[in-house]
Amino acid sequence: MVGSTLPVVGGYLGSYATLGLLLLVGLVFFGVAFGANRLLRPARPASPEGKFATYECGLDPVGGDWAQAQIRYYVYAYLYVLFAVESVFLFPWAVIFDRPDFGMVTVVEMAVFVGVLALGILYAWRKRVLSWT
Amino acid sequence: MSDLQLPHINYAALAPMLILFGAACAGILIEAFVPRERRYPVQLGLSLAGVVAAGVAVITQAGTRTITAGGAIAVDGPTVFLQGAILALGLVALLFVGERSLEAGGPFVAQAALIAGSEPDRRQVVRPGATEVYPLMLFAIGGMELFVAANDLLTMFVALEVFSLPLYLMCALARRRRLLSQEAALKYFLLGSYSSGFFLFGIALIYGFAGRVDFAGIHAAALGSDRSNALLYGGLALLSIGLLFKAAAAPFHVWTPDVYQGAPTPVTGFMAACTKVAAFGALLRVLYVAFDRVSWDYRPVLGVVAILTMLVGAVFAVTQTDLKRLLAYSSIANAGYLLVGVLAMSKDGLSSSMFYLVAYGFTVLAAFGTLTLVRDADGEANHLSRWAGLGRRSPVFAAAFTFLLLAFAGIPLTSGFTSKFAVFAAALDDGQTWLVVAGVITSMVLAFPYLRVVVMMWLSEPAESTPTVSIPGVLTSTGLAIGVAATLVLGLVPAPLLDLSTKAAEFVR
Amino acid sequence: MSTVLAAAAGEMATGEKVVFWILGPIALIGALGMVLARNAVHSALWLVLTMLSLGVFYVMQAGPFIGMVQIIVYTGAIMMLFLFVLMLVGRDASDSLIETLRGQRVAAVALGLGFAGLVCTGVYRALRDTPPAGLEQANENGNVQGIASLLFTKYVFAFEVTSALLITAAVGAMLLAHVERRKEDKRDQAARMRERFAPGNYPGPKAGPGVYATSDSVATPAMLPDGTSADRSISRILPTRELTSSEKTPKGTER
Repeated sequence: MVGSTLPVVGGYLGSYATLGLLLLVGLVFFGVAFGANRLLRPARPASPEGKFATYECGLDPVGGDWAQAQIRYYVYAYLYVLFAVESVFLFPWAVIFDRPDFGMVTVVEMAVFVGVLALGILYAWRKRVLSWT
Repeated sequence: MSDLQLPHINYAALAPMLILFGAACAGILIEAFVPRERRYPVQLGLSLAGVVAAGVAVITQAGTRTITAGGAIAVDGPTVFLQGAILALGLVALLFVGERSLEAGGPFVAQAALIAGSEPDRRQVVRPGATEVYPLMLFAIGGMELFVAANDLLTMFVALEVFSLPLYLMCALARRRRLLSQEAALKYFLLGSYSSGFFLFGIALIYGFAGRVDFAGIHAAALGSDRSNALLYGGLALLSIGLLFKAAAAPFHVWTPDVYQGAPTPVTGFMAACTKVAAFGALLRVLYVAFDRVSWDYRPVLGVVAILTMLVGAVFAVTQTDLKRLLAYSSIANAGYLLVGVLAMSKDGLSSSMFYLVAYGFTVLAAFGTLTLVRDADGEANHLSRWAGLGRRSPVFAAAFTFLLLAFAGIPLTSGFTSKFAVFAAALDDGQTWLVVAGVITSMVLAFPYLRVVVMMWLSEPAESTPTVSIPGVLTSTGLAIGVAATLVLGLVPAPLLDLSTKAAEFVR
Repeated sequence: MSTVLAAAAGEMATGEKVVFWILGPIALIGALGMVLARNAVHSALWLVLTMLSLGVFYVMQAGPFIGMVQIIVYTGAIMMLFLFVLMLVGRDASDSLIETLRGQRVAAVALGLGFAGLVCTGVYRALRDTPPAGLEQANENGNVQGIASLLFTKYVFAFEVTSALLITAAVGAMLLAHVERRKEDKRDQAARMRERFAPGNYPGPKAGPGVYATSDSVATPAMLPDGTSADRSISRILPTRELTSSEKTPKGTER
């Protein structure tokens, strides 16, 4: 598992210290990267008129910047959620299915579960949800 | 980990659910692979066959008393009785769902994803409806079967979601008045998931109290636990909110009229009959098996809920002008009468509540079935004023509907009378006089809107705009005949079913 | 991890306390922000904050699996779904602030606070003196293994039925969101041509929007020979607008 713990930190608060150290390293990394960027880059700010306007092929921008997303993105995202949830169940299954007495029964149980979910992707495929028209 | 034992699973006891879920999955395969023109007969045949097969599987379990699947499923008298009831009512509801002769393509929209009122939507008006409703119906019925059999709160929660989700979906699939239908589905979905949240919260508190979620464990913990009772009562209260929402009891009833009105009428009938059976079946099991030791504490509270439910249902039913909403409020009031039976907390209470569920289910299915027949160019004409004079135009139809309304009003010789009598008698035996008094008074109030419809149909002159009564197809006729016959038979000779429910009225713990 | 377990089984460890008092308020702020933010996308992002904090809580309380699931499934997958829906509806689409029932919002806030107070005091009083128990047994063979052994023994039927729930949801999502193209709706080239040259339809290309010396906006209609503007030259989804004087003036020239 996570906490065979780094050799530097052990004892009572070992795991927390590891986590804290990681957070600290992350913060330092972030700070150093952005700080270095800032120091090294050339900076000649100028703000002529229209610099921040949206550029649309030389035409004046019209309307807001929001464009309605197609609903099919939602369906794809939904299918993704479906299989994300499935993988959540697969993970605990994977750690125990090879135990004695568990064997085939658990494999079959998982096969049924995955099989039923596979119906969903089959349905989507036949309804041409997956092909972009 | 060495003591990890696979649970013994009694497949015969689980067969009804396995058959239904299997048939539902097959239905999805059919959706995917059978050509569109042939889907309707195949799907309808498959779902009817699935329900009948599950019914046979339930009947073979008569007399079984067992807890199986690792303690998650309890198959006992009430389970078998209620599963049988759900399947019988579900079969009739399927007949209404499958009807396609009243309207080109049936009561469901062809493509629910098209924007209501748009050009492609107008083009699809005559197209045959989506056949996905059949697997959805099977999933819903299967979930209800599991709901009344669940022996721990976790399984019960999964079952609750399994039968709710198809209902939310089917509410959105009406062919006519699609925006109303979609609004109904959204309302039902939002409020339903909210109430599921309460249910889940309740499970968490009860787990905190008992350290277990199975009913026997909760029952044992209620006797003496080192945890504070606040967890137990809080958990039970939140759990009850989730269940009473599904049962449409006040003050958790507000969704009912809107959803009943917007949903396609066959689905409304299905919800009014089967969801009620499932919700009360689960409520009975939770209260009788897990929490019977604290019944003295929750009875007054649920009694107030029952009275409020009866009052709200009866009073608001009087003001309704739409028949679907009228029946919705009537269904709320009936939830109140059922609660009276539940609160008797005795074997009689259990058996009379189960009898009531069956009797009311058939009547309400037939009532919503008749609503599908009265149509004009815009679909069903549900406004009360449009029904004026229907008795002169189609006496047979009006007579049947009058009979159903009299059954709702609890007139003798109908199942409405025998079932109300049964629950009130059980409650009186147990000393719950206050509930019975409230029940009788609200019954009298509730008779008024029913009688108003009857008077409207028979004593008014038919107007120019009075819609016609369509000739029902084979499916609807069969469904109506079953519903009306059950209402009559259970009113004239209730003894066999009452005996059956009394025999079945013993939970396994 | 073993140290966390040992620590969590008894008194709350200092590290756990520190993390709780840092992340607890953050989670609360996230929740409040979600409710109060005017912009729906901001609401979603506040919610991510809350969910991430909860995920860390689960990990701290020796439930690493559920913590990871919280982060992967909720903050990953489900929030993505939320954002797709928001982009579908439009992030500017503000809620109607008209109350159909007078005083509904006030009543809702009051009742919500009352309910929260009731539950919080109830749970607090109930659990104040309760020693934590059972964590070591539950995680005896590891957290994931513990979950797995429950999932495949006691709750195996619920687990299998979950697949029915997921498939229902999948079919439902496709039913309500996917427009199936039917064969009879497909128009071939001949049909399109017939439609194009049908009486009443102008077969030529539409005039483009105005690109003039004075304006080069797609919202400026083209001008017809008689001097009137051609509305057909502008995309229908664009609002027609009056040009401001600054937009009318030619750009890039000395005035």
